[in-house]
Amino acid sequence: MRLDVNDHAYELHCEVGTTLAEALRDELSLTGTKIACGEGHCGACTVLVDGAPVLSCITLAHAVGDAKVTTIEGLREHPMLRSFVRADALQCGFCTPGQVVSAVALVEARPEPTTEEIRHAMAGNLCRCGAYPKIEEAIRTWRD
Amino acid sequence: MARLIRTEKEVEGRYEEVWLVVEEDALEQWPTGPRDVVGRPAERLDGFERASGQAVYTADLDKPGMLHTAVLRSPHPRARATVDVSPALGMPGVHAALGPGEVEQLSAECNYQGQAVAAVCADTLAQARAAVRAIRCDFAVLEPLLDPDEAVRRGELLGDPRVRERGDYERGLAEADAVVEAEYRTQVVLHNSMETHQAVVEWTREDAVEVHISTQYVWGIRDAVAEGLGLPADNVRVVCHYMGGGFGSKNSPDDYTFIAAELARRTRRPVKCALTRREENTAAGNRNATIQRLTVGARSDGTLTALGGEFVNAVGWGGWSSGTEGPMQMLYACPNVKTTTYGAKLNLPPMKAFRAPGFVEGTFGLEALLDELAAQLDLDPLELRRLNHAEQAPEGGEYSDKNLLECYRRAEPHWERRHEVRARSTGTVKRGVGMASQIWYGGGGPPSYAWVRVGSDGRAAVVTAMQDIGTGTRTAMAQIAAEELRVPLEHVSVSLGDTDRGPYATLSAGSSTTPSVGPAVRAAAADARTQIEEIAEQRGLPKDAPVAAVVDVLEDAQILGKGARGPNPTGMQVLTFGVQVAEVAVDVETGEVWVERIAAVHDVGRVINPLGASSQIEGGIIQGIGHTLSEERLHDPATGRLLTTTLDAYKLPTIADVPEIVSELVDEPDRHLTNLGSKGLGEPPIVPTAAAIANAIRDATGADVRQLPITREEMLRALREAEARQKEKVGAPAGV
Amino acid sequence: MELRQASDTTVDGVPIHGGTEVVPLLRAGLLRAETLVDIRGVVSRGVADGRIGAGVPLAEIECDPQVPEVLREACRLAASPQLRNMGSLGGNLLQATRCWYWRLNWPCRLHDGDECFAREGEHREHAIFANDFCASAHPSDVAAALLALDATLTTSRRELPLAGLYRLPTDDDRRTTTLDPGELILDVRYDKPDASVYLKAMERKRWAFPLVGVAAVRRGATTRVALAGVAPIPWLLDGFESAAPLPRNAYKVDVAKALVKRATAAVAG
Repeated sequence: MRLDVNDHAYELHCEVGTTLAEALRDELSLTGTKIACGEGHCGACTVLVDGAPVLSCITLAHAVGDAKVTTIEGLREHPMLRSFVRADALQCGFCTPGQVVSAVALVEARPEPTTEEIRHAMAGNLCRCGAYPKIEEAIRTWRD
Repeated sequence: MARLIRTEKEVEGRYEEVWLVVEEDALEQWPTGPRDVVGRPAERLDGFERASGQAVYTADLDKPGMLHTAVLRSPHPRARATVDVSPALGMPGVHAALGPGEVEQLSAECNYQGQAVAAVCADTLAQARAAVRAIRCDFAVLEPLLDPDEAVRRGELLGDPRVRERGDYERGLAEADAVVEAEYRTQVVLHNSMETHQAVVEWTREDAVEVHISTQYVWGIRDAVAEGLGLPADNVRVVCHYMGGGFGSKNSPDDYTFIAAELARRTRRPVKCALTRREENTAAGNRNATIQRLTVGARSDGTLTALGGEFVNAVGWGGWSSGTEGPMQMLYACPNVKTTTYGAKLNLPPMKAFRAPGFVEGTFGLEALLDELAAQLDLDPLELRRLNHAEQAPEGGEYSDKNLLECYRRAEPHWERRHEVRARSTGTVKRGVGMASQIWYGGGGPPSYAWVRVGSDGRAAVVTAMQDIGTGTRTAMAQIAAEELRVPLEHVSVSLGDTDRGPYATLSAGSSTTPSVGPAVRAAAADARTQIEEIAEQRGLPKDAPVAAVVDVLEDAQILGKGARGPNPTGMQVLTFGVQVAEVAVDVETGEVWVERIAAVHDVGRVINPLGASSQIEGGIIQGIGHTLSEERLHDPATGRLLTTTLDAYKLPTIADVPEIVSELVDEPDRHLTNLGSKGLGEPPIVPTAAAIANAIRDATGADVRQLPITREEMLRALREAEARQKEKVGAPAGV
Repeated sequence: MELRQASDTTVDGVPIHGGTEVVPLLRAGLLRAETLVDIRGVVSRGVADGRIGAGVPLAEIECDPQVPEVLREACRLAASPQLRNMGSLGGNLLQATRCWYWRLNWPCRLHDGDECFAREGEHREHAIFANDFCASAHPSDVAAALLALDATLTTSRRELPLAGLYRLPTDDDRRTTTLDPGELILDVRYDKPDASVYLKAMERKRWAFPLVGVAAVRRGATTRVALAGVAPIPWLLDGFESAAPLPRNAYKVDVAKALVKRATAAVAG
């Protein structure tokens, strides 16, 4: 099968049933995408598929087809990352790549989201450390 | 000079007598207030690595030839297993399988759900899981003991009941003008660190292992693994550079580390054993449930005359009976206090420390009780607390420092908002404001050590084998070193998380890292700084010449500083204090409760990094909100099997549940505590949140919520009860 | 296991669209499949006046101004943002209950066993109507909205009212839908309402299944109210007389009554 990840075409072999998260982490060593629950409940595994945030831990790798996958590794130059660091929008950091991916998708669609829009768009990314207030701030100030 | 002392060491509210070698702490504290680096906001040194996904967590480790483990765990709270692991050995990709007794942590006698019974390692995780399913295993299910009160009746206890009494409780009650009795209950809460418990173990020699593990305590892991495997401690190397949350649950190696070690020994391969989310929420610890039957007596002016409580900690099969009675014993200057605490041993998974264990639960009970008293006596809750403020530790001894009254003072503007907040109530949405005080430990203690190395480029490395579990201690240590060395923060790096590459540092638990390791780092930096000044003098440079200019001729030479944590002040209680004021709204028709604002004022001594500190406060409060409103591990009442181990059913707060949070720190160095005067801040912010919310609900509605979480069911029940009470009052004949 | 692309609406295997339900169920061992059939190519993704393709993800419906408020809000408050990006309208209607006993594979009646563990056990999130055989609660906000809209479904084999998609499980047939194996929902049609609203009670502000969801739709003088989270299937409200709460979920009756009152008031002409 083929996967288009971060504008790079990969050939890989995995069984049907392998999730996109497993393919990214185990086959392509793109371990920035985290698996925290493995069943679609927490958002740590969020990646973009054709620009939309999806849960890679419950996406079948074989169902991705020709769609373009963007992982946190593909967003390394995005100003949102610096904004997260500036705002201290992370503590342990394990959920953070997923948070950043969701946040990037939000501001690509709405460069100046309201608080309500941020809370609506980010509600699927759980953070046990409770960095939420500063995640909100990082998204509000991402272009500073 | 090294000094051998016998002293009490406190971790998570538990004391033990230990021998310690301490070194004198010769440095003067810095004066109050922000310095050049310390006390000023700093970005996390490792923020970009973590946020960008470059940081390698234990979960991300993939060593050549590494095998993956799946564990067969008991689905029953009490059962005897008959196990044959041999079918697993024939499954594809399998390298080894372990049955009960093959390591101590695998047992056929299952006394809680999640007890590890057998384990398999294979080339892939999917293969290991398939092989575990192939194990032949029959469970003879036995009747579990699930009811904590029943366990107390039967004497099924962990440790003896703990009775703590001062004064004459009965007399105190007799002297009271008002007595309030109430029963409070708190639920089981799950840590849910985003990175589950896991380890990768590799034997590097016949008699040496390397353990990569998601932990709060590399040295504790080293010693426990060495003891478990019968190895000299230094033959165990423990590494944890980044870890994805612990909250108290990751201080010990647990079953997965020993399972991986044995499988690695047998296969001569690196072996990873990682818990799934469901295993995590079954077998990796929890904040245990409590039942608190409490009584307060007071004079009509609010002076407390008696406090009493029977506390039942529903501990589970293992762990300990935490200090749920602590706040009642320690917070107020009440002369007559009597508490009895039971640790009920149940067929439920063992508890583990969870962010201020016992005090979160006990503060909910005590501080809600005090507000019920305030309501009965028609007193202002804040005034009631001021009136009963303890100038000296009620159980004896001086405080090293205490600024609780200052916290109350700074909370006043937030407390004053209650008139305006109440006025925003509507027909169905009632608003109110509540407060609660906070007391907890957080002074840390010896030993901890640090080295500071300055190279000829003028850059410094702090080397200490502590860990940064997400609290930002790496950054705080760099700030302390930069301040003392007088170099820019960006010229300081911190090497941590590896027992082979740095001296001992304490665990990242009990709000102890900064107060324990911080003074050692400052001492090491001061040692290096002294040498730098000596070199400057010999080069004819001024004492305050830039470090880089002093050392630039040194080439490969390095300046090495060494520092140790000095002793805590003798005979003094080192504690943290604070207050939180919550504003809530209650939909009285649907029972929905939401928090609109929380103001927090805490006293934790000197603040190293105000930015990281505010994050700690916010995080603690948000966990507290989950504890108060939505989180609960449920089990089936008949069988005791757990029902909410997945994150759809177990409801952590989302970003949409977060109120406005305003935080403030007194930032006054504790003048008796170390060369820093800093205490820990990991735990204090979660302590008063539940009580403040419950008290705000009472302010809004007149209803007494007495059970966590405050579900719609509990809220509507409390509202009905309040309504009935009101009717009774109105209906009663005059004069009664 | 194999994954095939559907070439038409005749499907031989387990259909999969967004996968938000199928993949977790497969991985948890609650669903077995030799063949998965990816139906994304054969199910419509269009939104037209009064008609929505079953393949449209909830995330598109929630912000489409052509869609009645009740359905938009039901989508907006459903699941999480990522799940709404992935999950389709048709798949949402076919999701299984969140009953923890069912999800943990206890041998309950929906798993062809002979006991409802929730009735005697933990049932605070469970059904208050029609719960004597099985107390599971149907979690679809969207289904309640469409039931209130009195929507019509087109499947690969027939047309039926939305209410006809669901059936209460019985001793001799444990299914909760009337769909045959391989039958696909293709689109959903409804008449434009005069006013509509969706109110939802959940345990946190976002990303939770409904404790009670209330959909109200008014056309002329008639208001139709349907509930989510209160019965094993989406529930068309016909008063609360038939409510039979269990000891620990009686609060749901109070919550439902309050929300029905508000929803009805909100759509009143």
